[in-house]
Amino acid sequence: VRCQLSPPQRPLQASAVLRRVSDEQKKEPLASSSQQHFDSHPTNHQPEQEPQGPRPSYTGQGGQESEDYESEEQLQHRILTAALEFVPEHGWTAEAIAEGAKTLGLSVAAAGMFHSDGSELILHFVSQCNTKLSELLEQEQKLVQLGKAEKKPTDQFLRDAVEARLRMLIPYIEKWPQALSILLLPHNIPSSLNLLTSMIDDIWHYAGDQSTDFNWYTRRAVLTGVYNTTELVMIQDSSPDFEDTWRFLENRVADAMNMGNTAHQVQSTGEAVVQGLMGAAVTVSNAETVRAVR
Amino acid sequence: LPAGGVSLRRCSTRAALEGINKPVVDRIIRVDHAGEYGASRIYAGQMAVLGRSSVGPIIQQMWNQEKDHLKKFNELMVAYRVRPTVLLPFWNVAGFVLGAGSALLGKKGAMACTVAVEESISDHYNSQIRTLMEEDPEKYKELLQVF
Repeated sequence: VRCQLSPPQRPLQASAVLRRVSDEQKKEPLASSSQQHFDSHPTNHQPEQEPQGPRPSYTGQGGQESEDYESEEQLQHRILTAALEFVPEHGWTAEAIAEGAKTLGLSVAAAGMFHSDGSELILHFVSQCNTKLSELLEQEQKLVQLGKAEKKPTDQFLRDAVEARLRMLIPYIEKWPQALSILLLPHNIPSSLNLLTSMIDDIWHYAGDQSTDFNWYTRRAVLTGVYNTTELVMIQDSSPDFEDTWRFLENRVADAMNMGNTAHQVQSTGEAVVQGLMGAAVTVSNAETVRAVR
Repeated sequence: LPAGGVSLRRCSTRAALEGINKPVVDRIIRVDHAGEYGASRIYAGQMAVLGRSSVGPIIQQMWNQEKDHLKKFNELMVAYRVRPTVLLPFWNVAGFVLGAGSALLGKKGAMACTVAVEESISDHYNSQIRTLMEEDPEKYKELLQVF
């Protein structure tokens, strides 16, 4: 990320806009997955107050950060990021967003840019967590490629990835049930489902999944199930450092691994049956041909 | 595959994904993969019926070619992180049935089926090539070479 210190009034150079930013990201900021990037440059006129709360991290694909002025989307991201700090106190609500806006030196009316049910705040948070997870997995992969770390066995990899992702909820765990119910509202389901599926896809990708058959679907479905159930367990978990949750996770991942073996056995049996049937059909057909020739 | 090969593929995933029109490429690879998979199954069906006849070796040879194509598309699918079509089990059965069915009509039937399939695949690929060329020949150089 390069730091641009030019004064905000200068009009944007066309070249910055022509960078490779895919159109979908501009149109659907909330539905895009781990490839979303954030810009937290304080480019407005206010005195340099750094936005508090968790800083967004970057996937570094050369996005919008060198523009001289801020787009509305970037401003919204900054407000939502700042608002996260107030979620433990106010929940996922317009109040939290208003407080966040205040820390950036904006008026609380800025919260009016968003829905009153806090949907965008939650989706923003989820998207941010997914991005962080992707980066984490990318770093781990680099270490393995450089030979600085051991490649983990699949079950451990999945366990660690899901645990890392769920741990990001810990600061907000009290208010997370509220967030989940909002994410299940009909108008949020497309976005939340999109975020969920791309996160699971990311985990499998870094786990080294290269399936190109129906396994692609079964693996993702199974991992989604593991993730969702573990999340629910975590919400009700009161053990120290959520150890009950991680134990639950370990068991579910082990189940998932076994399921893979069972599925394989079922498939082999199915194949054998089909071969048998085809053999029978061919035998009958050949017998008919022979009889016809005679 | 040696470990080095796998990690190289992963590095190239990032590079491959930069700056391309992902939805278009996704669809192209998914459809082509499904097509090659179906073609493979068609030949499997034909082999099941005509495998021991005089055209057996010819069909086997064509089947091997299709298997090669399928392998190539499997690699592309991983490189571009495309999901396979959810209809794969259906194509599995439908392809096999089509192959076996056309083979039961005799050698001419089997050949006619093959010719028809190859022609339509050829048309299909040509229009895909056109789509990619129209957009940007340079970006898609690697993909176009596959065709």
